[in-house]
Amino acid sequence: MSYQSEVRDSIKAGDSLATVVVPANNYRELTLDIVAKLLGSKLGGIYVTTSRPSTHVVKEMKARKASLNDLYFVDMISLTVGGETGDPRTVFIDSPTMLESVLLNIGLLERRIKAKRHFVMFDSVNGLSIYSEMRVLKEFMNVLANTMRLRRTYTMMLTVDEQTPPELEAVLVTLSDCMIRGGTGDG
Amino acid sequence: MARGTEPMKPTAVKLDPRGGRPREKSKTYIEGMDRMLNGGIPIGNTSLLAGTVGSGKTTLAMEFLINGAKNGETACYISVTEPSSKMLENLRTYGFFDDSLVTEGKLNIFDLGIINDRLGVERLDGSYSPKDMEALLGAFEDIVDELQATRLVIDSITAVCYQLPDRGSIRNFIFRLGQFLSTFGCTTLLISETVVDAATQTYSIFGVEEAVADGVILMGNVQRQGDLLRTMQIVKMRGAKHSRARHLVELTPIGLSVVPLLKWGQETGAVYS
Repeated sequence: MSYQSEVRDSIKAGDSLATVVVPANNYRELTLDIVAKLLGSKLGGIYVTTSRPSTHVVKEMKARKASLNDLYFVDMISLTVGGETGDPRTVFIDSPTMLESVLLNIGLLERRIKAKRHFVMFDSVNGLSIYSEMRVLKEFMNVLANTMRLRRTYTMMLTVDEQTPPELEAVLVTLSDCMIRGGTGDG
Repeated sequence: MARGTEPMKPTAVKLDPRGGRPREKSKTYIEGMDRMLNGGIPIGNTSLLAGTVGSGKTTLAMEFLINGAKNGETACYISVTEPSSKMLENLRTYGFFDDSLVTEGKLNIFDLGIINDRLGVERLDGSYSPKDMEALLGAFEDIVDELQATRLVIDSITAVCYQLPDRGSIRNFIFRLGQFLSTFGCTTLLISETVVDAATQTYSIFGVEEAVADGVILMGNVQRQGDLLRTMQIVKMRGAKHSRARHLVELTPIGLSVVPLLKWGQETGAVYS
């Protein structure tokens, strides 16, 4: 089964939290395809990016002809790397270490979403692990997961298969309603 | 079973150990802060809003006033250190500020110059005599009474305390200030400047203010991987069952927002409050 179908099934099953384990070689393609598909299904979304600037994601989504009317961003990387910070649909976080800001800004952006149902895409757990110690990251994942569960927001935590240490994977398995390890990526 | 020896019915265990009737609260309307305060600051409380330079004390105090004014209350800000015109200019940079609150008299901003005019004196600076202290207390009382203010901020109480001759006078001044504000049902924040001291936690320069105040809200900074994060902690708040956990404070387009701070994300030995 493809990633997209597994995500769709997970939403239908009423899951709150899914970990999407993606192989490194086609990580970019797969993650953007998932988002494009969800937006096409009339869902609004919040894309939290730690691994690439939001402007880059927007550009690639536009190339896929995805509707971006109801997609918002929490960008944790642009201010660190000196990227563009003018996009009105994006909240730019000062530093990727400011993990609490993510929770706070997801809450604020949720108020702007027009669609009845929405998702949060967290790209990626590995991106955060570059800047934060494992114990901080584990605590953050725990808080994030439970906050989103309380808000009943469908949340996908992306992780690169080859870069996820067993300790982190164990945390993700414990917290998630389902682990999605798609096959082909088409569909 | 013999008469009169029936087992007693177990009484229901109250989950709130304090029980009793909660006091009426003055909501801050600051995202996350009312949850910390279990509904808001008890009406009539005089609290110290303590913190170091740049910790967000004035912004928080202003938002407390503005949110009250937006909800139909009358709010007063007394600046002891800055001219009111400069304060107003700074306020206009905040998305949550609305000029009409000032023109409609819901938000009133005073500086020491205006207070001196009301007192009919040219200047009230240097060390205060007992007479000056009475006059100043009288001026604050008049402002609150005249405007029927339900929210007041004095920025800063530290600057006032510097003019008082000794710790006894400071204690007396704050006690009496709190007393009449409580009678008026005016919820007050006294801004207190603190200095960084790694060895001991201080809430004021003179060490007297916190003992007399009904509440202490501590603003500070913690360092994480070299980044400074603004924090808030409620140390005491009479009449409220409140959180004592350290929270992160962030300025957002809708005003300040408060969320719990991650426990492991605070570097030991690098905490500035």
